Amino acid sequence: MFSKILIANRGEIAVRILRACRELGIQSVAVFSEVDRKSLHVRLADEAHFIGPAPSRESYLRIDKLMDVACRAGCDAVHPGYGFLAENPALPRACSNVGITFIGPPAEAMESLGAKTAGRQLARRVEVPTVPGTNDPIEKSQARALAQSMAYPVLLKAVAGGGGKGMRLVRSDAEFESAFRDAASEAMNAFGDERLYLEKYLERPRHIEIQILADAHGRVVSLGERECSIQRRHQKVIEEAPSPMVTPELRRKMSEAAVRLARAGGYVNAGTMEFLVDQNLNFYFLEVNTRLQVEHPVTEQVTGLDVVKLQIAIAAGHRLPFAWESITPRGHAMEVRLYAEDPENNFFPSPGKILSRHVPGGAGIRLDEGVYESWTVPNDYDPLLSKLIAWGNSREETIARLRRALDEYTITGIRTNAALFRRILQEPEFLRGEIHTRWLDELLQRPHAASSGSPGAQDADSNQACKAAAIAAAIWQARESSVQAPAADSNKESVSRWKLEGRREQLDRTL
Amino acid sequence: MKYEVLISGKTHIVELERRGDGWQASIAGESGVTADVSEIAPNIFSILLSGHSHEIYVTPTSVGQIQLQTGGQEFTAEVSDPRSWRGRRHSGAEAEGRQQIAAPMPGKVVRLLVKAGDAVEAGQGLLVVEAMKMQNEIRSPKSGKVERVLIAEGQAVNAGEVLCVVV
Repeated sequence: MFSKILIANRGEIAVRILRACRELGIQSVAVFSEVDRKSLHVRLADEAHFIGPAPSRESYLRIDKLMDVACRAGCDAVHPGYGFLAENPALPRACSNVGITFIGPPAEAMESLGAKTAGRQLARRVEVPTVPGTNDPIEKSQARALAQSMAYPVLLKAVAGGGGKGMRLVRSDAEFESAFRDAASEAMNAFGDERLYLEKYLERPRHIEIQILADAHGRVVSLGERECSIQRRHQKVIEEAPSPMVTPELRRKMSEAAVRLARAGGYVNAGTMEFLVDQNLNFYFLEVNTRLQVEHPVTEQVTGLDVVKLQIAIAAGHRLPFAWESITPRGHAMEVRLYAEDPENNFFPSPGKILSRHVPGGAGIRLDEGVYESWTVPNDYDPLLSKLIAWGNSREETIARLRRALDEYTITGIRTNAALFRRILQEPEFLRGEIHTRWLDELLQRPHAASSGSPGAQDADSNQACKAAAIAAAIWQARESSVQAPAADSNKESVSRWKLEGRREQLDRTL
Repeated sequence: MKYEVLISGKTHIVELERRGDGWQASIAGESGVTADVSEIAPNIFSILLSGHSHEIYVTPTSVGQIQLQTGGQEFTAEVSDPRSWRGRRHSGAEAEGRQQIAAPMPGKVVRLLVKAGDAVEAGQGLLVVEAMKMQNEIRSPKSGKVERVLIAEGQAVNAGEVLCVVV
């Protein structure tokens, strides 16, 4: 086993990984940029080293600096977390050059599975169904002919893409020209690569992914699925396991496909195979995420496994002690991603200082986060604050716990998207599990009518809360005025407290 | 001490009295309603309102308003301090001409505070729109008269939809 691990990341995921290290008795080494000196991962790590200015390309993306820290600190392994360099094959190569173990897949597996078109080619070779479309980058005229032959709507996607950039939905032939041009220029701007490919567009698909683990001795296991259909503009915001629509039969088929794909790509360590599932339970391979996922905790909660510790064990050459057939989800888990962004203002990022906060606890609640009271959320990075995870015996119990925990969760000084989750978690369609990848975007188009349930009781509650709020506001003002009072006589020297108190008494009498 | 608190389009007169290291508060016109208030941490108040437990997080905003959070609900309040009569509501430049008041966000109109023909002051609340459980008071940008009200209480509105006109 390793003795010291460099965590090439920041925020909640760096905290998650260093906690696993501590449980395993492994020393953790954090890195930080100029604006992260006070970040939680720096406070909690055994060691922390400065790696440069705030922009990530000058700090968290600098392989040379990371390797320098790893060597100087005497690390024997590097964990990349997610984002930043996690899917860049240059990092495992740099690690192997200096004799340090990379906790993740080999560089070759990242290349053969990670790139979208390469992954799809491999999937077709091992008979894993993919969404009808092209394997390769495609020219405009060819693309148009193909779109006509497989019938609109179709989706144009950037070969180098991700996060919805360089992606266009084309509903008719008339839209094709301009959509192709826009997608190509957006892809060029975002990734420096304007090549596109074409896919059949599925109506109301669900995003369901399979978590796999593969050891270096040929064993590949599936930890089951996660449903990630609740997305805002192609970004996941709620994930759950198991999926409310996946049957044991579908789980087995998707797991077999994921395992086959991992084997074909020579995959080792933790990875995720993403699929779209249509209304008739047909599944289509989308892409492989060759890293730990943000939403891994929901799988951990229903399997009882610690994915990060297993990643470390696999990288250290250990064998997986179980087969995937032995893993069935127990209970239900759901995660919401709390971001520093303002749902009232088009989800604009809202960095700033956290003035106060109260975090939920109690049965069935897990909070993975990298923030604390009085810390200033920097505006240089992804504004993910906390992942609030609930689990319970059933989906209903899990949702009730999540709602309860969201009501307990209070943070002041910055805006968060918590209100969005309160809204989603009471939508009847969501409660019935009737969701798809565009469900949330459609919901946000609709005006938000008053909450369902018992409106009378809620109004009464709201009225009570309003009165309590009015009282708090008055007290705050009363205290503020007494603090500010001396400033009114600012040209004089300080006013005696006795005099102030006397004035206050007098006023009380006159009112 | 008495304070006038404007919150969700309603004005509450709150009377405060220090008691030990906390406060005793009551609301005018609500006989028998008393509140036991304790500040449990800076700007976090535990309020027992006729026995009902509320926890209120207070954050002042840069525009002189006070933001209040409790159990997933959020309010914005303005407090007039009777001693200073600072009149926060009457400061700042006033808009001129015919003003169309549009919904800043999709939501539901929970309360109408004026009707057509009413005279209004600049900064006076016109109506309250609720979005994502947050009540937002829409105020008049000018002193004048309400020409027309285009929506009804309880109606859902889209962002940008004209709600009323002040001339």
